[in-house]
Amino acid sequence: MALVTIDDPSLNSCELSGKLKRLRKDYFRAVPEICIERPKLVTQFSLEAGLFEQDKISILDKARVYRKILETRESVVRHNQGYERTDSGLKPFEVEDTSPFAGSTTSKFKGVPLYPEFAIALTIWPELWTISKRASNPFHITDSDVEKLNYEIFPRWMENNILELARKRCFEENWKRYKRKKYAPEIKLFQQLVFFLTSKAGCISHTIPDFSRAISLGLREIIDEATEREASTSEPSKKEFYTAIQEVLEGIIAYSRNLAAKAEELAEAEADPTRKKELLDIAEINRRVPEFPARTFREGLTTVWICWTAIHLENPNIGLSLGRLDQILYDLYRQDIQDGTIDIRGAIELICSLWLKIGDHVPAIPDSGEQLFGGTGSNQAITIGGVDKDGNDAVNDLTYLMLRATELMKLRDPNPNARYYQGVNSEDYLRRLCALNINTGAIPAIHNDRAVIKALTAKGETIEQARDYGVIGCVEPGSNGRFYGHSASILLNLTSALELALFNGKHRHTGMDLLISKETGDPTTFATYQEFKDAFEVQTRWLVDQATNLNNSLGSVHQVFYPTPILSALFEGPMEKGKDLIEGGAAINSSGAAIIGLADVADSLSAIQKVIFEERMPFADFLDALQKNFKGYEVLQTRLMNPEKTPKYGNEDPVADTNVTWIVDLMDSTFGEKVNYRGGHYRVGYWTMTNHAGFGRLMQATPNGRPARENFTSGITPVSGVTPYLTKALNSVANLPARCLSSGVALNLKYTPESGEEERMLDNFVASVEGYFDDADGERDGGMEIQFIIADHKTLVDAVKHPEKYPELLVRVSGYTAYFKDLNPQMQKEIIDRTEYLLSPGKMVPFDPFPLPK
Amino acid sequence: MIARLKRSMIRIFKHTVSRIVSYIHEGAGLVLIKRFCKNLLKQLPGKATDKFLELLLDGMDLAFLVLPGYSKNIKDFKGRYLFKTREIETETDRPVVDASVIFKNGKMKVDSKPEDNPDKWDVRVTFKNAAALRDFIFSRDQDILDSLLANDVEVDGNLNYVYKFGFMVRDLGHRFGVG
Repeated sequence: MALVTIDDPSLNSCELSGKLKRLRKDYFRAVPEICIERPKLVTQFSLEAGLFEQDKISILDKARVYRKILETRESVVRHNQGYERTDSGLKPFEVEDTSPFAGSTTSKFKGVPLYPEFAIALTIWPELWTISKRASNPFHITDSDVEKLNYEIFPRWMENNILELARKRCFEENWKRYKRKKYAPEIKLFQQLVFFLTSKAGCISHTIPDFSRAISLGLREIIDEATEREASTSEPSKKEFYTAIQEVLEGIIAYSRNLAAKAEELAEAEADPTRKKELLDIAEINRRVPEFPARTFREGLTTVWICWTAIHLENPNIGLSLGRLDQILYDLYRQDIQDGTIDIRGAIELICSLWLKIGDHVPAIPDSGEQLFGGTGSNQAITIGGVDKDGNDAVNDLTYLMLRATELMKLRDPNPNARYYQGVNSEDYLRRLCALNINTGAIPAIHNDRAVIKALTAKGETIEQARDYGVIGCVEPGSNGRFYGHSASILLNLTSALELALFNGKHRHTGMDLLISKETGDPTTFATYQEFKDAFEVQTRWLVDQATNLNNSLGSVHQVFYPTPILSALFEGPMEKGKDLIEGGAAINSSGAAIIGLADVADSLSAIQKVIFEERMPFADFLDALQKNFKGYEVLQTRLMNPEKTPKYGNEDPVADTNVTWIVDLMDSTFGEKVNYRGGHYRVGYWTMTNHAGFGRLMQATPNGRPARENFTSGITPVSGVTPYLTKALNSVANLPARCLSSGVALNLKYTPESGEEERMLDNFVASVEGYFDDADGERDGGMEIQFIIADHKTLVDAVKHPEKYPELLVRVSGYTAYFKDLNPQMQKEIIDRTEYLLSPGKMVPFDPFPLPK
Repeated sequence: MIARLKRSMIRIFKHTVSRIVSYIHEGAGLVLIKRFCKNLLKQLPGKATDKFLELLLDGMDLAFLVLPGYSKNIKDFKGRYLFKTREIETETDRPVVDASVIFKNGKMKVDSKPEDNPDKWDVRVTFKNAAALRDFIFSRDQDILDSLLANDVEVDGNLNYVYKFGFMVRDLGHRFGVG
């Protein structure tokens, strides 16, 4: 049977039902509410089990805590209330919840779950009384919940959260090494925030679970398998692991049954026959799945949803991703269509309902955290399309249904990512992806299968594993359900390595009287460009050492205090190895580093090469210009920013492209030789979320002419405003070697909407993607990923002034999708300033930079 | 010497009067603290002086004494803090602001000439100046991370103690109706 049978890929005749439209409206109306259910229960049961006193927490102890939580947490079948912003503060409003899926990740309609085991939850402690009144992205919280968090919950974790435990571990190790008390330079660098961030302090997520076994076998059969494996092994650690798996899966089944019971109870009291039937349907489905194999499309979606809520009980809502849903649910969908038990419209309605459920939570972010991660959702990527394990076209009807659902819902979460294999997937499919970007303004991101598969196999994955990749968090590729890559382990500010090379181991942000790293020499004494490159390489390697050391320390603390039985139960590898995911149980192990500032550093190196070592401007004068933020050196700054006078990445300039290729090669080899705490190697990616704005805010002027506090450029994108021709910009990026980019890239482009010329725009749009992905007959790998904002300068400027006019304006940040109104001013400026191309001539649209926010 | 003695006498007087009043009614205790802490109330939302830390700690000390709701914050809490500025006073060669605070057995003890010994604090907070401290722990639009981002503050030790202290300060402001 053909995989694609629908006549119209746009499925334009399918619209949202009235009740789903109302629910979506409520969703946009609601502000997030802090939910204390999870921290309260995890604290209570950890206390009862004596886990705070233990030097090591076993996977079985942890599993028992999770089982108790799953068995006792509130069974929310229907939400009744949300909170909305009004002139007099946050006020409740009635929610008309008609979702076909029961349960939620928190007990709130749109919740903020808290994970006090990690570093982030406690950062909001000081602002608990004011968080509902903050200007940027307020969260509702009741007074009684503030008191519970303050008196009963947070104090328990002050000595026991992952960052604090890691700090103590660093103290012990450094005492042995240096005989210095309370000495942890790695933590200090992390807390200075200008060098790198390590997200292990905040989460362990960033991966894709394997839902396929839960759907096709049901959790009961997985429990039976764990029971058999437990009986047949004599190794105590494996016995404990398999018992833990049984515990958590029983907990998940109990949660689903509790929801079913609650739905029956509500049905009993319901007078409206339609609503009564809806509730009874929920009850019937939740009584069956996820315990037993899913028989219908809706049961399959329910299995995914219930497992998803359980995974979020264990793992913070930062970058956990759903994988290739159009592949794992396709058989159930096709069967239902063949049996006539569902039609396309009904299937889209179910997908839309699931999309809303997936977006039912947002991460806890303190007020100033908004500066680094402003406007972020939970970054739950879904992946559609591409090829199957054998390399065949995997685009099916469900792919198109999911695209239509995405178009109708226009949500920040889930974050849709489409795979496209040139020459295997149809051009109609690519055309639909491009049209969807025009219609939604920002989604989906498009990934080049050929280049991604090449990058993954270069890191040791089999061709079948690589072909079955899904997208994690923002844009990171990883084999679906079997790759534990923690792809956002490290967010490294590469411009800090440049700074350390320029100032001989010192950094202007932390003060010129403090030696941060190694002294690599006063650059004014360097005779050649190579000497400066060598200094930069030494500083880069030093920075990578610090970041990977801390990441490994945090990882080893996870191994002692944060076993992950739920994720391990729903993953390929742990069951076979009898080993927890964080102990290296996954089939494929690695850690990921995302690099911030690539284009700015590359252009800075090119500027130094050209201006100082070719044209012989004294390095001392150049440094003086940087110190003075180009004041008195305006002519130099103008020249540095002019692509006709100074080489710039993104113009097919041989000097600039050589420098950028050298950097990605250096990063790949430096990280690639590092081994993580699970025995895997580090991989490198170039996607920056909002960190290029956050880090930019901290950094002084750079050699490429960028003034102090200005944003850095996002992802792998060339610097804004210096690449006049689209084709050249695309080619420069597409020429980079895929093997160095295995943790994903984000190329952010902005296209001007061409109203009245939609078909012509679409033709050019498709051509731009095809050209960028093209491997030039094997001469290059082709670009790996591309994502768009379809909005003009005027609209974005107006949206800053009048956010109320643009509540649903979606933009691509650098990886994830966000509502423009939720972004911090610095990030809004970065989006406005991004190079905008008018597709017909393929040229940059000129405009002045937006003013830097105060 | 005489000035210190005078300050101690005033402090004892304030504590005694406040305690008596709070036995009558917690609300009355709050009114009295507001009266005794006028300078602190001015500085919490406004411009901070070098005396901010001293005023703040005095206010907290008094509030722990007379407001049972507020004193719940330090019930069973043990924590040792060292606060200091990077700025050094030329006359004394000591930081412009320098104080340690110890919470133990439901009580708060302040030492204005503390010893900077890693064994004697759980967390040491070194801030640029008094205004940076105010921003660090109280400003409505900023928080701890923001001060770290601006390099206004350096923290050594357990950051969670700072979050806890930050809450206690804001809780005081909340009870005062400020911030």
